[in-house]
Amino acid sequence: MDRLVFEVAAAIAIVFAALMVLSRNPVRSVLSLVVSFFALAGCYVLLFSPFIAVIQVIVYAGAILVLFLFVLMLLNVGPERPEKTGRPIQTLLSGIAIVLFAGFLLSTLRHSGSAVPRALAAEPNVLGKPDALARELFGGYLLHFEAVSVLLLAALVGAFVLARRDRGSRA
Amino acid sequence: MTLLDWTILVLRVALPALILPAIVTPLVWVERRVAAFIQDRPGPNRVGPFGLLQSPADILKLFMKEEVVPSSVDRLLFFLAPGLAVFAALSTFAVIPYGSTIHVEGREIPLLGADVSIGVLYIFAIASISVYAIVLAGWSSNDKFSLMGGIRSSAQMISYELAMTSAAAGVILATSSFRLNDVVGHQQGVWLGFVPRWNALVQPLGFLIFFVSAFAETNRLPFDLPEAEAELVAGYHTEYSAMHFGSYFLAEYINVIVASALTTTLYFGGWSLPGFHPMGILGAAASIAIFAAKTSFFVFIFIWVRWTLPRFRYDQLMTLGWKALLPLSLVNLFWAAALELWRMGMGTGR
Repeated sequence: MDRLVFEVAAAIAIVFAALMVLSRNPVRSVLSLVVSFFALAGCYVLLFSPFIAVIQVIVYAGAILVLFLFVLMLLNVGPERPEKTGRPIQTLLSGIAIVLFAGFLLSTLRHSGSAVPRALAAEPNVLGKPDALARELFGGYLLHFEAVSVLLLAALVGAFVLARRDRGSRA
Repeated sequence: MTLLDWTILVLRVALPALILPAIVTPLVWVERRVAAFIQDRPGPNRVGPFGLLQSPADILKLFMKEEVVPSSVDRLLFFLAPGLAVFAALSTFAVIPYGSTIHVEGREIPLLGADVSIGVLYIFAIASISVYAIVLAGWSSNDKFSLMGGIRSSAQMISYELAMTSAAAGVILATSSFRLNDVVGHQQGVWLGFVPRWNALVQPLGFLIFFVSAFAETNRLPFDLPEAEAELVAGYHTEYSAMHFGSYFLAEYINVIVASALTTTLYFGGWSLPGFHPMGILGAAASIAIFAAKTSFFVFIFIWVRWTLPRFRYDQLMTLGWKALLPLSLVNLFWAAALELWRMGMGTGR
């Protein structure tokens, strides 16, 4: 039963991720990605990680993609027109990349076997619980965690500076 | 699972989903009568006793009306959006405990849809879907007024979601659990013999921020800019008619009820009262009544504020959200953390 639901959710995630790339209308693309993220959250729930599932929905579907949609609406971006792709060498190289990646993916899947890692299946409540996650983040990985937040802060300040400089040069 | 288990499961899921829309009908009547009282006029009093049948008549009218769909809309999203609004409003209630536990043939059943370990976060996750309902309505209508409403709404809801979540984080910190029944359990008991241990008394600032943000999240006055009638015709639902238009009102009223229920649960002890220990089926019924009474009080405040305060200007709305509520909610978080540290230092922690 769980396995069936997992496979349906995973299939939805993949189909809508493909729709996101293939859709000509940018707003539809964003919405496909939203559906894909929700299906992914369902996968997390079935992998005994409800906390990560909810954070996935709140952060990605709830905040970041709404901002995407917001910008698309403000700019009123129309449907994308199909453009001729460049040189034949690009097509060739991208074909090679796809084959290599597919081979890598297949070999990984063949070696890993089950979808649920055995350690997680044995103790389903360890990683899924918020306090266990917090202990890892603010204990063993505290330095990494703080480094990432400083990185994000730097990106934020950088974006702010870039936007300001543009206005300053015009004035 | 036996047949009894299935019956219990279906009832737990279906009851809130059926009762909430049923409450909306009398709630619309209450809102109009209170509005009339505040504005010193009689209000609807012709259809049925005290005008009670006015709302059923209006809803029947909404169902019977002709559906007019503009030719330039994005049909898929246009019809998806109102359904999404009602879905998000209804499914939020699933994790809010509306009563104590009842015992059926040796089974202990907590009175709520699903007792999940991430209750509070689930509510915020579902609330983020309701943003899409409004934004999509605005965009798919292919109309300037609707689009303006949708854009305003997305900015407003993202801004106030931050303050709301940070305020609720104070409660979560004090409870040290996301489970809403734990939040209720944490608030049982009294101080000094008569003061209930409600979070609103410990974190008054957090309660205030949460409640103000709830007005913004439900698009109610004084923050109803997404549908400001005077400047946007009707905002994001300008192009909707008949029951698709009605869906947005259904969702708005359900959201008001859910926001009140959530305020009750997080800050006013939910279904519990000091000195009240629910026993048996009568005790469970009493706990539901207590919960309903507290929730009704906050629903009344929603209506009261709507007919008392004027609408905010857009820049005032943003200033309030980002420069007042968000910093204050961080102050509240520090206060909650300091209290928790002090309690742990005293050795009287749970």
